Amino acid sequence: MIRSGRPFRRVLIANRGEIALRIIRACQDLRVESVAVYSDADRGAAHVRAADSSVHLGPAAPAESYLRGDRIVAAALDSGAEAIHPGYGFLSERASFAQQVEAAGLAWVGPRSETIAAIGDKLAARRLADSIGVPIVPGTLEPVSIGPAAGADRRAAVLDAAAAVGYPLMVKAAAGGGGRGMRRVDGPAALEAALADGSAEAGAAFGDGSVYLEREIRPARHIEVQLLGDQAGRVVALGERDCSIQRRHQKLVEEAPAAGLSSAQRGSLHELAVRLASAAGLSNAATAEFLLDETGRFWFLEVNARLQVEHGVTELVSGIDIVTEQLWLASGAALSAAVLAAAERAGAPAGHAIEVRISQEDPARGFSPTSGRVGRFRQASGPGVRVDTAIEPGDQVPPDYDPLLAKLMVHAADRPAAIDRLRRALDETEIGGVQTTLPFHRFVARSPAFAAVQLSTDFVADHWAGPASQASRADALGQALLGAGLAEAVSASPPAAGHPPARGRMTSGRPSPWRAARLGDQPDDPSQDRPWGRPR
Amino acid sequence: MTRPRAIEAGLAGPGRQADDPTVNVDATTAGSIECLDLEHAILGQAPDGEGSGQTRTRLAIGPARRMMDGTVVREVVVDGWRFEVQLDDARRISLRRRASRAASTVGHVRRLEVRSDLPGRIVRVAVAPGDTIVAGQELLVIEAMKMHNEVRATGPGRVVQVGVAPGDTVELGDLLVLLD
Repeated sequence: MIRSGRPFRRVLIANRGEIALRIIRACQDLRVESVAVYSDADRGAAHVRAADSSVHLGPAAPAESYLRGDRIVAAALDSGAEAIHPGYGFLSERASFAQQVEAAGLAWVGPRSETIAAIGDKLAARRLADSIGVPIVPGTLEPVSIGPAAGADRRAAVLDAAAAVGYPLMVKAAAGGGGRGMRRVDGPAALEAALADGSAEAGAAFGDGSVYLEREIRPARHIEVQLLGDQAGRVVALGERDCSIQRRHQKLVEEAPAAGLSSAQRGSLHELAVRLASAAGLSNAATAEFLLDETGRFWFLEVNARLQVEHGVTELVSGIDIVTEQLWLASGAALSAAVLAAAERAGAPAGHAIEVRISQEDPARGFSPTSGRVGRFRQASGPGVRVDTAIEPGDQVPPDYDPLLAKLMVHAADRPAAIDRLRRALDETEIGGVQTTLPFHRFVARSPAFAAVQLSTDFVADHWAGPASQASRADALGQALLGAGLAEAVSASPPAAGHPPARGRMTSGRPSPWRAARLGDQPDDPSQDRPWGRPR
Repeated sequence: MTRPRAIEAGLAGPGRQADDPTVNVDATTAGSIECLDLEHAILGQAPDGEGSGQTRTRLAIGPARRMMDGTVVREVVVDGWRFEVQLDDARRISLRRRASRAASTVGHVRRLEVRSDLPGRIVRVAVAPGDTIVAGQELLVIEAMKMHNEVRATGPGRVVQVGVAPGDTVELGDLLVLLD
């Protein structure tokens, strides 16, 4: 089928940052007008300037802006948009919002609201997978709880269920995501507390405290399948991604295809994902996540009924623009010939793509978020390099928003070439003003374990030791300054100590120039010039 | 271009915990800094021994910023690690050394600033002005990434001032408590 015209005249993008810009670009490629939305913190942001028009939502806090479904639907109706693309995060997997959009007579760029609701309940998804023979991580199919008033019978029943699952096991939230509500339990003694904690955390995060038990599969690789489906019910797999390198259950590095799979393994994985998606009535774009254990078996984890952050690596190896396909599919079009051909090739992919998420986090401190204003910002470019970002020098990412600054993707003929290209692209990337995850990614690009496909969700714990040592990090700075001609001699001796060593999270009162420097940062910004902690 | 004569680089204090790499560079430059024109300059690669093509050190040096006390600070990013380096002239360095020597010989106790090591929200403040504290005592608790981080005293002292209250948000480097 040859597609003509455009899927929509005007689309509202209910998101911010790099993904909003990514979707606006797809609209521009299709000659579709784009409507951006923005909070107070994003006035004049890149995605607002790129769009054909924009609507202000409210204050920076997501609950008052990007999570205000009512305002977003009203903005779409007022601006004459015909469809809403939610991107990822924010309202993208909120079935009630998708339902609001559909009820307003707008097209929802994603799976139908009832599919989101059904698949978003992880227990329902597990039951569905189990019923059609897709192997699920062993565990319970119903919520598990020991109430405060529970009798000995109830307690014993739960302990029996846990013993049947096997220790160590995971307590997981039925409504979960992002590792919230998740607890690892080593033995029966810790079960009751973990259930209570996990349930309380899930209740606070999702408004639903249901938790269930799942065996811990470890070591394991995290491998997911990109799915596309049309409204007639046809679903195909565009290929898989390996997203094993994570911290706090959040991905850091993703690649397509997953290295080291046999074509039989790949074929069976894609078949499992398509079988599940078809049974769920999935349309538009979604991702089915699996764990791959040491014996080479796949275990279904969950379905994300939305565009993924890491969709770009699949685009690079499949040649399919997933976002433009999403727009066509949302308009009612059937899966295109190009998509069907790409799905045919997905079992034997050509080329290899790797993405690293450059985030505003300190990899020396457990990837905790850092604050500050981005200074210098130079992106990699050249052959086989794609950078998706909406950051500009001088930008400050509010702490409420995702600390992702840029997605650096590389594409090459095979995995070793892609790793070399990643190393080169990372060398070209310069970001000042804030500490980022760049040192970690530079490490990965040079890691023999990564090159040898020794991948597991424990990669960070197993291989990343942070900066080799305090001394070596300081030494690296000294050597670098020497090499740069900034100094003629470097003394690496510790300076005379004025005070006892700092402990824990305490900052020494010793007048460290480094510390002092942080305080007077950005002298042109009066809000930075404050001797005491900033009041709320 | 006149080069500074020396840079001292080392640990910010002996015995800092290996897992607490927040402050680990203390660099001071002796000599003239005025003629260094490095505004947004990329100084390229520092030598790192064998050139395998794989292990080059990337160095970027940011613009100079003059602080209120007259010192000049530059951001230096080495292989993605971000440092802020204070460039100081020789006279100031020798003055500071004398002052710190004098402090240790006379036994004068300098006021100790406790600053925030991470951005977050104050959950609890456990001390008040006038309190006498012992080493290791909890001063306050900062919540970041939904985790509670205790801030403890490194040594005995007395609380002079508390700059934050529960519910306040703090940024990296904000002054929390002043100890004597």
